[in-house]
Amino acid sequence: MKRRHAPAAGIALALVFGSASAGNDYDYCLLCHGTDANGNYGIRAPKLSGMEPWYLARQLENFASGARGMPADDAPGHEMGPVGLRLKQEGAIDSAVQFIGKLESKRPAPTVSGDVAHGKELYKNCAGCHGAKGEGNPALQSPALAARSDWYLVTQLTHYQKGLRGADERDTYGAQMRAIVATLPDEKAITDVVAYINTLK
Amino acid sequence: MTRSLSRRDFLHLAGAVGGSTAVFRAAMGLGLLPAVAHASGRPQLAALKKSKKVLILGGGISGLTAAYELSRKGYEVQILEASFRAGGRNLTLRQGDRIDETGFPQVCNFDKDPDLFFNAGPARIPGHHQELLSYCQELEVELAPFINDNRNAWVQDDAMFGGKPIRAREYLNDSRGFVAELMAKSLKKEDLTGPMSPDDWEKLREYLRQFGELDPQFKYIGTARSGLASHDYTYPDQLKKPLSPSELLKSQFMQIMSFGESDDQAAMMMEPAGGMDRIVAGFMRKVGHLVQLESQVQKIQVMERGVEVTYRRNGQHVKAKADYVLNCIPVHLLAGIEHNFPKDFSAGLIAVPRGKLFKIGLQMKERFWEREGIYGGISWTLQDIQQIWYPAHGIHRKKGVVLAAYTFDPDAGEKFARLPPDERIKLAVAQGSKIHPDYDKYVETGVTIAWHQMNHMLGCAAQWDAALFKQWFKKLQAPVGNHYLVGDQVSYHPGWQEGAIASAHHAIADIDARERARGAVSA
Repeated sequence: MKRRHAPAAGIALALVFGSASAGNDYDYCLLCHGTDANGNYGIRAPKLSGMEPWYLARQLENFASGARGMPADDAPGHEMGPVGLRLKQEGAIDSAVQFIGKLESKRPAPTVSGDVAHGKELYKNCAGCHGAKGEGNPALQSPALAARSDWYLVTQLTHYQKGLRGADERDTYGAQMRAIVATLPDEKAITDVVAYINTLK
Repeated sequence: MTRSLSRRDFLHLAGAVGGSTAVFRAAMGLGLLPAVAHASGRPQLAALKKSKKVLILGGGISGLTAAYELSRKGYEVQILEASFRAGGRNLTLRQGDRIDETGFPQVCNFDKDPDLFFNAGPARIPGHHQELLSYCQELEVELAPFINDNRNAWVQDDAMFGGKPIRAREYLNDSRGFVAELMAKSLKKEDLTGPMSPDDWEKLREYLRQFGELDPQFKYIGTARSGLASHDYTYPDQLKKPLSPSELLKSQFMQIMSFGESDDQAAMMMEPAGGMDRIVAGFMRKVGHLVQLESQVQKIQVMERGVEVTYRRNGQHVKAKADYVLNCIPVHLLAGIEHNFPKDFSAGLIAVPRGKLFKIGLQMKERFWEREGIYGGISWTLQDIQQIWYPAHGIHRKKGVVLAAYTFDPDAGEKFARLPPDERIKLAVAQGSKIHPDYDKYVETGVTIAWHQMNHMLGCAAQWDAALFKQWFKKLQAPVGNHYLVGDQVSYHPGWQEGAIASAHHAIADIDARERARGAVSA
C-alpha cells in the first residue's frame, strides 16, 4: 500500500516536540510497554522507563541469549524473547537502552495492596542490596524497586520462586534472587513486601 | 389427518390479532428473522450543515467503514493507522509481503501467482453477514463460493483407530447410524411422555431410521453417506463396513463435529476472489486519501468539547484535535496508552483477555489433496494444528496454498508462537503428515502468523464471556464524552468483520443522533 503523508486538511496538527532519534525503529517498544514505556498491565508488559541502563541492557542480553523468558509457563517472557533476539546485532541493545532513557518516566499508580507493616519487616532482607528506599545499588548490580510496575514485581518474585526466572546458569544475578526469595515463603509475603515497596520514594 | 398450521398460516393469524409488530415478534420467535435489538441495516446519516472533524484511530474494517460513511455526509475524517498498512487483521499474504511480527518478522515467499495467497486473518463470509456483503457489492468486491465443510476431508485423532485418519463422512454418519440404532431399539412406546405421546412412537422410530439410515429392522448396516467402498461404476455399489462405535467414541472430535452446521460456518460461505484484502482495497479506493499510516497513538485526552490525540510519527510527537474520536485500538494496547478515561471505563480495558489465534499457510508444489478427492474444505485433527484447509480457488492448477494450522486453543497458539518460524512450520508439517503421508515432500515455503505477537495487534478476537459482557460491554460501548471505542472488540461478534461493522454503525448512528438533536444537520 502506498505511504501517504498528507494529513487531512483542517485537522489541527501541532508539533509538540521532536525526538532525538531520527528513525522510529524502537517505537515498537512502546507498542507493548505503552506510552513512554510506562508499562501496560493489559498485556503484562512492565514499565521500562526509569530503569537503570545497565539493568535494561543485561535483561535484553538475557532475553537475546535465552537465559530469560524460555520456560513454558512464562508466557509474557516468550513474547519478549524473540524481541531480544532481534536486538542481537551490534549496538542494537545500546540504542534501545538509549531510546528508553529519553522517555518521560511517570510514577505508576499502585495496583497491589497488602500488609505494609509485615512487608516492611520482610523488606529488611531486600534492603541490603536494593537499598533502604528501594533506590537500587549499581555497585551490586541491584536495580531500583521503587516506582516500578508493582504487579510486575509480584510476577517476577513469583517467577524466581517457581524457577521461571534465575534458574538458567548464565543468569548469575538471577540465581542470587532465586536464593533470597526463599525469605518470601508464600503469595501473601510477596504482596506484602510489594505493598511496602509501593510506599518507598 | 388434520392439517397442521404452517408457519405462514401462523404468521397471518398473529398479524390479524396483533398487527405487524406481532408478526415481527412472532417471526423472531420462530427464528425467521435475525434477533437483533436495533433495526438492522446501515444507519442513514444526515448530512451536516457545517463540517465536524473526526479522527479514527486504526484503519481496520471498523475504521474504514466509519470513514466511508462519515466522509460522505460532510464529516472531515482522518484515519491514523499505526502500521505500515491499512486493513488491520484483514490480511492477505502474497509474494513479497511483510509479516510484521514483533519478535519474528517474516517475508512471504510464495510464487507470484493470483491463486497463491493466504488469508491470514478473516477468510470466510457467511451468507447472513449482510452488512459486510452489502459493502462488498457496493465496493465491487467480487465474491466466490468458499468451501468450509467437506465430508470428503479427513478426521484424525491419535485417540481413535491408532491415529489413522478417516473421512469426515465416515465419522459423522457411522456415529449417527450407531446412535440411531441404539435409540430406536431401546425406545419403548410407554416411555413416551411429556412433549410426546405413545402415538408418536412409530413416527419417532421412522425419524431415527431416516436420521441414521437404518435398515427395515432398525439395524445400522452402513450407508452410502459414509462413502462407498469403491467408485468403480462398472461394478455394483458396495457399502463400507461401519466403523467401530467404541473407537469413534474415544475421540473428542465430537466437540467439533458440528462445526460446519453452526450459524456462521454453514453453507453458503463466500470469500472475495483473489483474497480477503480485496475488501480493504475496495474501501481504500474510497477513503485511502484519508488514511495516514505509521502514526502510533501515544495519548488521548477527552476534553469538554472534542478529543485531543497525540501520536508518534517519524520519531516525532504530533498533536491532533477533533470533534469526535472513533477509537479502534485493541483494548489491551489502549490500556498502555496515556489517557484520561474514567476509572470504570479504563478498568474494562484490561478486563477482557486477548485472543491468541495462530495460523500457518504453506505453498505446496502439487495439489495432492485433489488426488484424494478433496476440493476445498477442512480436515480436522486433535493435534495442535487443529485443521488443514484446502483452497477452493485454483482447482486443478499445479500449486496451491493450504492452511496448515489454525489453532483456537490459546495454549496451542503460545506453543507455536514461542518457536521461530521455521520450527513452527516443521512442527505443523510433522503433525499434518499424520493426515497426508508424504506431506513434507510437497512443502515449498510458508508463512506463520501468531496474532498475539503481530505488531500493533498483539491479539485477536477479544475473549469475552457472559460475565464480562454483563460487567463491561455497555460501559465500553458507551461514549466517553466525544470518544467512542469501536471495532469487533465492541460487538457481540468479535473475530468477525461483521462485528467490526456493527460496532462502527452503532457509533456513527449515535454521533448522527447527537448532531440531529443539535439541529446541525441539513433537513
